Amino acid sequence: MWLELALILIVFLGVIILGNNRLGTIIQIFALQSFVLSTTPLLIYPGLHAVAIMIVTIILKVILMPSLLFWAMRHVSIRWEVQPLIGYGKTLILGGFLMSVAFLISSKLELPAKEISNLLIPSAFSVVMMGFLLLVSRFKAITQVIGYLVMENGIFLFALLLLEKTPLLVEMGILLDIFVGVLVMGIVVNHINREFGSGSTINLTNLKD
Amino acid sequence: MELIVLLGLPFFMGMVVFFVNQDRFKKILFLSTTSLHLLTTMSFWQRKPHDVQFNAFLGFDALSLLILGLVSILFFAVSIYLIGFLKEEEHRSNRIFIACLLCLLSAMTLVTLSRHMGLLWIAIETATLLSAPSINFYRNPRSIEATWKYLLISSIGVALALLGTLFLGVSATTIKTVFLENILNNAASLSPSWLKLSIIFLIVGYGTKMGLAPMHTWKPDAYGEAPAPVGAIMSGALTGCAFLAIFRVTQICFHAHLEKFVSPIFILLGLLSLGIAAIFILGQKDFNRMLGYSSVEHMGILVLGLGLGGGAIWASLFHAVNNAFAKGLIFLVAGNLYQNFRSKKVSAEGGPAAGGEIIRGVIHQLPATGLFLILGFIVIAGFPPFGIFYSELLILKEAILTQRYMIVFLYFLFLSVIFWGFSEVILGMAFGKPADNAPPKIKKENIFTIIPLAILTFVLLFSGVFVPQFLYDLINEASALLGG
Repeated sequence: MWLELALILIVFLGVIILGNNRLGTIIQIFALQSFVLSTTPLLIYPGLHAVAIMIVTIILKVILMPSLLFWAMRHVSIRWEVQPLIGYGKTLILGGFLMSVAFLISSKLELPAKEISNLLIPSAFSVVMMGFLLLVSRFKAITQVIGYLVMENGIFLFALLLLEKTPLLVEMGILLDIFVGVLVMGIVVNHINREFGSGSTINLTNLKD
Repeated sequence: MELIVLLGLPFFMGMVVFFVNQDRFKKILFLSTTSLHLLTTMSFWQRKPHDVQFNAFLGFDALSLLILGLVSILFFAVSIYLIGFLKEEEHRSNRIFIACLLCLLSAMTLVTLSRHMGLLWIAIETATLLSAPSINFYRNPRSIEATWKYLLISSIGVALALLGTLFLGVSATTIKTVFLENILNNAASLSPSWLKLSIIFLIVGYGTKMGLAPMHTWKPDAYGEAPAPVGAIMSGALTGCAFLAIFRVTQICFHAHLEKFVSPIFILLGLLSLGIAAIFILGQKDFNRMLGYSSVEHMGILVLGLGLGGGAIWASLFHAVNNAFAKGLIFLVAGNLYQNFRSKKVSAEGGPAAGGEIIRGVIHQLPATGLFLILGFIVIAGFPPFGIFYSELLILKEAILTQRYMIVFLYFLFLSVIFWGFSEVILGMAFGKPADNAPPKIKKENIFTIIPLAILTFVLLFSGVFVPQFLYDLINEASALLGG
């Protein structure tokens, strides 16, 4: 019951990110989504393992990554997305379409093990695809990083299926890697801001054949 | 003990370098670390049996040793090269650059050692992240653009690979782990639909890292803008690591009797990479970008070999070894050219490499570099007696033997086009007349940027022409992992 509620909330927050154009708000919503996400392991397998994951997720995804993103955009004068590749209305419709695709795919795939919740796999697929949509339809480097992070949140939901099986060490490694990834991306975003004056990747067109 | 030298030492030295100011000291640290790494790796080649298991997560098999050898030798050559290279770039900060390279050595070693699919993913992601800052060495708009594209595309690719790894875990519900050994031993019990999904994601993900078309778009940009030593490491060692990941996936497929499912995918990706490379190498104006497309070509040949199976698997592994050293050689040559000409332009027209003089008449102005340029061309273009000729021929033979004439035709066509495009550019660079209006500049060659070229040529002779017994055994054992 609580798990379903959390999953719906995660997907819902993903939709809000898709429809928003203020960079600061997007980062805050992402942090909220990650917070809801961090509670899900505890809802499925109450135990020490889940608590450990929850704490690390909160530290990395709710506190450190959003502050890093805020740091990276501190010099950007334009704090909203200008003219996305696909308009906001269309992005939302596409997001809804992708959600139905996610449910369709999930109905075809049979889980070999006992089902945790009927909603888990469809919502994981939806969040992954929403992140991907965000990544390809926006020009601001920051929004692209958030798209990547939303995608990772979807992958995290998939990982819940395997929580019992993966060693804690490997999970921590994965989380840490994603954090370092965002750290490096944040630094590069900072370079882009300094070099091109705005954090927009529209200017990155020097290299082509 | 060996583990500490292989994995811990480069990482630790990477941290130390961060707090060192003297250039000379940094270079010595780098050189001594890679030398120790190489010596340790060599001690493993002599040991029999090659399989060593340190703990549940880390261990060696023949393939790991093969790839670790590539990584170690390339890093050693680059560490000598850096002595001369950084001297020309003294005004740039190299603290992060050297620290990242050292940690990268650690990460790549971890890729070869890991016996757990999750750990393999962690290692590859770490290697990706560590190579990104070193691309941005020149810190100009072009290199930032290249870094961003590399980072973003690779991260998406690696994220898909993570998804694939998770699907693999879902398909392995009965054994409840993703340790390579357990998966290979119980491959028959994996759930087929999830396994197939996982294989597709893993191939796309690690294929992005390897630079297979159509996921190759970061490659010409990154190789074009990265400083030469990084280009050498990325095109030689990092792609080798990605190939290892693809090879592991293939191993799982073969054990689960999914050869029929996976081989058309590999053949398609391979031919597509060859085709894309052929189109873009023809008329290429930027030398380093051309090398990027050449790397796409050779990665295509590698997976084509895996797809054809049988004797082509041996050829593919042999090709991986020779391609790594050849790419290392030619990228270091490109570095010498760039430091002297301050340009990568190879043709008169504008295009992305606008600015700077056109590289012409290398053999007259820089005799030693010119010589190795020609040598590198001979190796990469697949002239006999070098190894690449032999492995390309073996793959052709396998395609003919299995009577897949369409593949034979396309393979031959693409290789000829690439050969033509390549020779046009390189012969022009080496022997062409410099433009009259170009101001004559004093060009100089540092001895430390020539020694590694000689070392790599020497290695190429032994990896391709006079193959020592232990290398034969190693490749045989590795290809036996796929029943080849």
